[in-house]
Amino acid sequence: MIEEVTLTRRPRRAPVFLWGNVLVLGWLAAAVVLAVGVEPWGLPVWLPLHAFLLGSATTAIVLWSEHFVVTLCRVQGPSDRRLGFGLTAITVLVTAVLVGVVADLTALVALGGTGLAVIATAHTWQLLRWRRAAMSPRFGYLIGFYAVASGALVVGAVLGAGLALGGGWYARVLVAHVHVTLLGWVGLSVLGTLFTLLPTTLGTRMSENTAPQARRSLWVLGTGLVVAVTGVLLDLPPVAAAGLLGYAAGVGLAVVPLVGALRRRRPRGPAAWMVTAGTAWLAVAVAVDAVRLLLVGPVAAVAPVLPVLVVGFAAQVLTGALTWLLPVVLGRGPAEREDVAVVLGHWWRTRLVTANAAVPLVVLLPATGWAVAAVAFGGFAVLALAVAVPVAVRGGVRAVDGPRLGGLVVGVAAVVLAVGFATGGHDRPATSAASRTVDVELDGMRVHPAVVEVPSGTRLVLRVTNREDVRHDLRVDGGPRTPALGKDETADLDVGIVDEELRGWCTVAGHRAAGMTVTIRTAGGHRHGTADSAGEEPDPSPGRVARDARLAPASAETTHRVELHVVEHEVEVAPGHRQRMWTFGGTAPGPALRGRVGDRFEVTLVNDGSIGHSIDFHAGTLAPDGPMRTIEPGERLVYRFTADRPGAWLYHCGTMPMSQHIANGMYGAVVIDPPDLPPVEDEFLLVGSQLYLGEPGSDAQVARIRAGTPDAWAFNGTAAQYDHAPLTATASRRVRFWLVNAGPGDGIAFHVVGGQFDTVYREGARWPTTGAQALDLAPSQGGYVELAFPEAGRYAFVDHDVRHAENGAHGYITVTG
Amino acid sequence: MIGVPDVWTFVRFAHVLGAVVWVGGQLTISAVVLPPVRALLGLEQRGEVLKAVGRRFALVTVAVFLPGQITTGALLAARHGVTWESLAQPGYGRVLVAKLLLFAFVMAASTAHGIAQSKGATGRARAASAAALVGSLGIVLLATALVEDGG
Repeated sequence: MIEEVTLTRRPRRAPVFLWGNVLVLGWLAAAVVLAVGVEPWGLPVWLPLHAFLLGSATTAIVLWSEHFVVTLCRVQGPSDRRLGFGLTAITVLVTAVLVGVVADLTALVALGGTGLAVIATAHTWQLLRWRRAAMSPRFGYLIGFYAVASGALVVGAVLGAGLALGGGWYARVLVAHVHVTLLGWVGLSVLGTLFTLLPTTLGTRMSENTAPQARRSLWVLGTGLVVAVTGVLLDLPPVAAAGLLGYAAGVGLAVVPLVGALRRRRPRGPAAWMVTAGTAWLAVAVAVDAVRLLLVGPVAAVAPVLPVLVVGFAAQVLTGALTWLLPVVLGRGPAEREDVAVVLGHWWRTRLVTANAAVPLVVLLPATGWAVAAVAFGGFAVLALAVAVPVAVRGGVRAVDGPRLGGLVVGVAAVVLAVGFATGGHDRPATSAASRTVDVELDGMRVHPAVVEVPSGTRLVLRVTNREDVRHDLRVDGGPRTPALGKDETADLDVGIVDEELRGWCTVAGHRAAGMTVTIRTAGGHRHGTADSAGEEPDPSPGRVARDARLAPASAETTHRVELHVVEHEVEVAPGHRQRMWTFGGTAPGPALRGRVGDRFEVTLVNDGSIGHSIDFHAGTLAPDGPMRTIEPGERLVYRFTADRPGAWLYHCGTMPMSQHIANGMYGAVVIDPPDLPPVEDEFLLVGSQLYLGEPGSDAQVARIRAGTPDAWAFNGTAAQYDHAPLTATASRRVRFWLVNAGPGDGIAFHVVGGQFDTVYREGARWPTTGAQALDLAPSQGGYVELAFPEAGRYAFVDHDVRHAENGAHGYITVTG
Repeated sequence: MIGVPDVWTFVRFAHVLGAVVWVGGQLTISAVVLPPVRALLGLEQRGEVLKAVGRRFALVTVAVFLPGQITTGALLAARHGVTWESLAQPGYGRVLVAKLLLFAFVMAASTAHGIAQSKGATGRARAASAAALVGSLGIVLLATALVEDGG
């Protein structure tokens, strides 16, 4: 009796109330558009979700809860100006949060979140004041529901702001935030309203025992929610599950009078059906959540429950409620209300079926599910806006031209499809560029590795795997991104051709701020060039020790017996960049051998690799047929030679294609001292080579080896390693640099910045020199230079083919006085 | 770069002019002609005026617009080096295919509009004309993308 008139007795036609509803619909439409844009524009799912929950649902709850309390409890409502101010503030703050999260402006997010918490606090305070002033105590429970819900929004906003700021406890705070906002703010507001709304939409009466039942259920619901959230925050799944079961029991208690109403009258119109179905999804979601929380843990449990609550419960109840309420707001008199109701009821059966079909789909096939949901709720948004906007603007209901509206929707759909098709696929030219796949793991709110370095012009594919319960994705500047990944799910992210530094991050709200970023760098460019540029480079891996460049004096033995194992081994070839190499003895270059003229070498080669290899010592002469033969994995051979001539000699794998075997690390040096070699203070050995990144033997790497386009140049196997671990020497003392050029293809012009060589020994010839600036060595040639540093300082040594120096053939000598 | 106008300049001009007249014509009729016609004329006169406008627009479409756009469009595509294979490629080819599909949709909607109008099914006619108008704007959007891409 009361309820049939209460909701329509004081239709609020103040412009601010109309505009408030237009805002609700506008946010709903925005959420639908953003949901559609998730795939093509690479938007985070977070965005449409919050445009709906924070924009549409929150505005609707504030607007209508205030209206219901004023109407049913007969209290003095806020002035239109105050309501207008509140709605404007909510809109601005919600926009701030959305923009802040997407644009990664943490301060804006914090500001928006704090502002919303303040408004929610003020709203709670207002509700509690009304509770005391209520003229009609029968509906006191309604204020109770709204006040507890509003308190939940305060907590939810604080937790949400905490999430956006990143930091520890992420998983717990996330789950708590989801529960507090969806079950607390949205859930309690809706349940409180349903006691009157559902009977009204059914056209039946509210039963006598509704109010006491409602009060009881609020206690159970509130207690259950507090216990559940406490359990989640303290990481006590059984407590959290018990709390959720308590909440479920509360829903059960609340539903009893509603089921009674449903028994008296079956739902007929769109509003009753949607509200009923929405409430059913709430009950299902909470029960599933409680059970799964025990079985798979809170984070995994909430993942499928969240979309069910959003699509099945929140969106559907909002749509149903507005279908019922908007005619009252928009229409003057019964005839106009009927007109509005007819428009809002267009295709309602189709929309009802579509919306509920979308609920399981958003869990099982998210992309399809969100699209279907967008159709269902987008349809309502279009219809409602078509009728509400003219009323708000002109003050009167205008007949909605249904066919024209339908035509517009079909036209827009066709354009969206066409644009989607046009921009689909990767708009990158087909290219023969080398491609690389790099494994990337998401774990502990970090991306591992945090820096990926590839040669400029490489087509990079990141194979992204999420290793933790929290869902993550990875997006790279310029758009490409992975879908949201559950635990242990993997997706390939085609970054495309990398020719500049790119940033990547997880788009889940707050994860970027928490440090889930990755930097994709190009090897090459200007980074090794100047003396002061070392700071720009990635650091070598922690614990990595640069190869000792000091060359130990030859031993007294005249026969050197060495066993060299061919090992496929991961090596750090540039700071922070590891890759698999083929090696002699586990390092590239292989071990340095040193002796005197006339010494005998007996080298046992053992092939522990996976393909055939061989060895070729330039330091000795013999018929290559036997000793230089290729041996298969598991085989061994003994290579004997006598070092008859002094020099710095190369040894290398001679198995074809030799370019690959050398480029992949199978080289080293043999130093045979000339008989009259004078002693010096410091003696170093530098073996120069070119680096080709990528899986050894892969098509892409082989293509670059054949083209002679290395990724970097190196002394002793690692680009720029002596930038980080400089060699040391003493001023005015003689220093000798032995050099061997291993190739496979480029020459070396060895130069010391700030120094002059007073002795140059190249390929067996000691040049009488009054001073030399560079020792030039073709591939496989060797020699040494000597100099004394004039004074203390930091001297660079480089390959003065500066393209090589700028890409790794560079290091420092720290000279002390 | 502005070169000396050659024959291709005129082909392109004809193609753009056709689009301008056709899409602009639809917009003008919907936004400028229809509202005063509805407001000022009686039901009978209104019907006659609109029928005459519709017929003339349809005649221009079939006799001038369609042959003109298809001819100039095909010439421009050939000039741009578009091959059948390149239509499947992402980028220019795909945008062109999308534009052609949307063009087909608009032509279908316009035809549906004419048929519905002649049968007196005004509701369907309005739906079809709205769809055609929005679709035409979509074609212009895609054409802009082609200009951007094609350089």
